[in-house]
Amino acid sequence: MIPLKFLSKNEKEKLTAQLEKQFGIKEIPWEIAKLGKERIIVFSGEISEKEIFEFDRFARIEGIGLYFAKIDERTGDIRLSIEGAHLLKSQITKNIFELDEKQAEQWMLGQELNISTGKRGFLIMKYKDDFLGTGKASENKISNFVPKGRRLKYRENKIEE
Amino acid sequence: MQNQTRYQPKPLFLERMKNLLGRDFDDYINILKKEPVRSLRCNTIKISPDELKERLENKGWKIKIPFGDFPEIIIVENELQPGELGRALEHMLGYYYIQEIASMLPPLILNPKPDEKILDLCASPGSKTTQTAARMKNSGLIIANEVKFGRIKILASNLERCGVMNAIITKRDGIALCRRFKEQNFLFDKILLDAPCSGEGTIRSTPRTLEMWNIKTIENLSKLQKSLIASAIEILKPNGELVYSTCTHAPEENEEIIDFALKNFNIKVEKINLPIKTRQGITEFGEKEYSEDVKYSCRVYPQLADTEGFFIAKIRKVK
Repeated sequence: MIPLKFLSKNEKEKLTAQLEKQFGIKEIPWEIAKLGKERIIVFSGEISEKEIFEFDRFARIEGIGLYFAKIDERTGDIRLSIEGAHLLKSQITKNIFELDEKQAEQWMLGQELNISTGKRGFLIMKYKDDFLGTGKASENKISNFVPKGRRLKYRENKIEE
Repeated sequence: MQNQTRYQPKPLFLERMKNLLGRDFDDYINILKKEPVRSLRCNTIKISPDELKERLENKGWKIKIPFGDFPEIIIVENELQPGELGRALEHMLGYYYIQEIASMLPPLILNPKPDEKILDLCASPGSKTTQTAARMKNSGLIIANEVKFGRIKILASNLERCGVMNAIITKRDGIALCRRFKEQNFLFDKILLDAPCSGEGTIRSTPRTLEMWNIKTIENLSKLQKSLIASAIEILKPNGELVYSTCTHAPEENEEIIDFALKNFNIKVEKINLPIKTRQGITEFGEKEYSEDVKYSCRVYPQLADTEGFFIAKIRKVK
């Protein structure tokens, strides 16, 4: 059975409050569910929760909705996926780190950035109009969470070293 | 010339294509030697065609939008480095999907609407599922099924990259899944059956298909395709629509399947309009004769519109 749990109204409010605290996000206009221990998905499909579980019994669900965020079990902080950041980009007002072209390329290559931001915790990575997911800032670097399958595989020639 | 240097077509394949194409045969052979067009589909879930066009032009790419009614279909006209389309940031961010123009046609015919319940029975790698989700504006419901474990991952990854939120992925044998849906009376407004096929239409991009081609495979696939379409029709709502497609030219996998459906179910084949030049379905091949209405299906030949080869038919379940 799929380890899926849709968030109650209270749970959704709590999650939204945390997103507002971290990134200024005030509203998530879709159904939200927890998939397994950490992964948060958003789902816009027109089917009830009850139907989903009935459906799972006879059709074996392998995946549902869109991976949106992960909750850090230790701190309770939320790390938005690339898609999560893209979906809510119009609402994100806080903890944005603007990348320059070279940093954006390093980021999409999956490399950590050796930068001191003066902040600690999760930052939304932004390059021009593109939202490139979330990094974790510590004293002298930003850790990279771009999944392997989404990374650029080479350096573009036009980027200056 | 990248094609047909390493892989030579088998005599029986050539003979069959000659029978299908008649005087177009030489044009067909010539187009196989030509590099396929670099086409992509703007993922309107994430970006508008105008914005994407501007971004790609700023990279120095020469962009053409060939069909005014479908601005999401884009051709890159200039030469690119090998793999450049797939490595671009815009691709990584899901702003476009690299997709052959012929492969974009079945979802256009399916014409999915935002409130519909749609089954994509053989969904991986997800080109048509993501296109369907975009046309539904990420609402309604898509069930995207794929039987092969190895292909589920690529399907899930493409749905994620493209920001698809309205889909549920299942991994079941298509016939068994339809049976379960039928038992549960879980019916669909529309079904896309992009059936597993012998891939004769993909020779331009995958010349190795020529080496793997054999008539036995076609016969076996034909049996599977008949079982799939029969199972799928059973779970269509009354008046529901099914689009059947393959990327092959073999009549046993195309008209014969539609003929089988017409003879065994209360359905009708509907005329379809495509934005490219096509040929109508054939009503006889060798010693076989098919129902007259099979002619409403479409044969997409590479030499007609500089695409890959495809077959598309739309059927409606009669109330």
